[in-house]
Amino acid sequence: MAAVCLFVGSSHMSVSECIRALLNKSTAANNRIIWKIRMPRVIAAIIAGAGLSVSGLIMQTNLNNSMASPSTLGVSNAAVFGANLSIIAFAGGFLDTGNHLANFDVGANPYSTSLMAFVFSVASILMILGLCGTRSFSPNIVVLAGIAMGSVWTAATTILQFYATDVGLSAAVVWNFGDLGRATYRTDLIMLLAVGAGIVFFLFMSRRYDALLSGDAVAISVGVNVKALRFVSMLLASMITAVCVSFLGIIGFVGIICPHIVKKIFGQEHFWSISASALCGSLLLLIADTLSRSMGNGSALPVGAITSMLGAPFFIAIIFSKGRRR
Amino acid sequence: MLEIKGLSFAYETDKPVLRGVDLSLCDGHVGILLGRNGAGKSTLLKIITGVLKPSAGSVLFDGQDLLAMSRRERAALVAYVPQQIEFGDLTVFQTVLAGRVSYYSIKPSRSDLDVVERVLSETDLSSVSCRNVQELSGGERQKVAIARALAQEPKVLVFDEPTGNLDIANELLIIREARKIAHDKNITVFSSIHDLNQAMIFGDRFFFMKDGSIRYSGDDQVFLPEVIRDIYGVEAALVNDHGDKFINYYKEFRND
Repeated sequence: MAAVCLFVGSSHMSVSECIRALLNKSTAANNRIIWKIRMPRVIAAIIAGAGLSVSGLIMQTNLNNSMASPSTLGVSNAAVFGANLSIIAFAGGFLDTGNHLANFDVGANPYSTSLMAFVFSVASILMILGLCGTRSFSPNIVVLAGIAMGSVWTAATTILQFYATDVGLSAAVVWNFGDLGRATYRTDLIMLLAVGAGIVFFLFMSRRYDALLSGDAVAISVGVNVKALRFVSMLLASMITAVCVSFLGIIGFVGIICPHIVKKIFGQEHFWSISASALCGSLLLLIADTLSRSMGNGSALPVGAITSMLGAPFFIAIIFSKGRRR
Repeated sequence: MLEIKGLSFAYETDKPVLRGVDLSLCDGHVGILLGRNGAGKSTLLKIITGVLKPSAGSVLFDGQDLLAMSRRERAALVAYVPQQIEFGDLTVFQTVLAGRVSYYSIKPSRSDLDVVERVLSETDLSSVSCRNVQELSGGERQKVAIARALAQEPKVLVFDEPTGNLDIANELLIIREARKIAHDKNITVFSSIHDLNQAMIFGDRFFFMKDGSIRYSGDDQVFLPEVIRDIYGVEAALVNDHGDKFINYYKEFRND
């Protein structure tokens, strides 16, 4: 799927041209399209898809709530506020971090919007986890606090947008759409470090998550430090989301659809469901990105919209299908 | 021997739930905790299993303080079967294997798998080991919860209302299973239960709780009408039917 994604785009290069460009034997323009535009985008889809999907799975297990998502702690809403603040209030004005060289001409830091989005995401995570720590990270409290905090960020964003100029407002709205085209090798590397570290930790804790499915009391009685596990897991899952959303914008639904599809097909044994969720998330985002670029008539459609359009019908079919057979 | 000394606990500082609980139970015996709702039974069981921390007192097993142990050490000594049994979307084997989580990190060893297979065989669950635990009946699910606890290879097995949601056939099945575990494996079983007649066939020692402390304890001779009146505020009669003792606490309805 990654190869297909690499060969599809608005420049209408043939497969043989793409292969030659991959070997750096095509024209300079084609080589640049493959290596500077499409490749970082494909890598971003693989990493962010895996990260968002696994984060969703971990949130659902730790909060014992099938509606939990990577953004349960208000991460996405906080990121949107941070990015909007950068774009509207500080005239960051950057929708991309690297692929549009013209943006560099004005001399501002191309990462400013991502940085602001990340700072506010982390602030939201720390505020909620700090508050919920006083109540032993009770799942219901965390979910409700996340909803409340999310609405605060959304309200603040609305007020900010009310005072925005037309240009600032449209720039902010476009940022919200989510776009894999903002990825560069540097952002891919940062996302890889966050997602990779998170997935390794989650795999290492996979048997403890299995025990957590039997409730907190049983998990404690079999030797799991439930409070610490829940805190670290939610922190890591939210940080992964914060990193991905800050660089790429909002890519919704991957973190809810993919874990459910995987659990329905393979069950909940976490060692396998974490691995399968990562693959499923990457695949969904690659397909969505390929479609978004081939349907956009020269420019990519918002990939978040495509993931929902693509995943929701499949998701509904899975929900209404008969249970998993062993 | 399981010994509880001076155990106190409060969810809110000015409202103590346990007020200096003292009791002891020999190895291989079944101890039954009785009392009204809110007497502190579940709280006491949760302290023994490490779910809650007491404000004072100690829980000793063979002289070792369970409350001072690490989670892993305690998990190898005490196992818990809760009142509300929850399972994930796992097979019976995977669910029982979760009981061994304190023995390994990411990959279970051959000996962990052997223990799970042995426990499944002992609890007659081998034939359903590959089935999704959600598809099983109430009695089978309760047995899976017991098997998961046994996979910890504990010395003390704690049950919170083990027969609460079961029909009478499954009630008897679980009681028989728990007694067999206690006597065959020399495991100390400590359980709360509501039905006094079930308690009498299930237990060896009985502890009646009221207002956060043990008010009466002893063997089945402790089931006296005045004890039941004091604990539950209910008039009851002890009936002896050719050596089978049971408690009739519906007497006052029949007199209406």
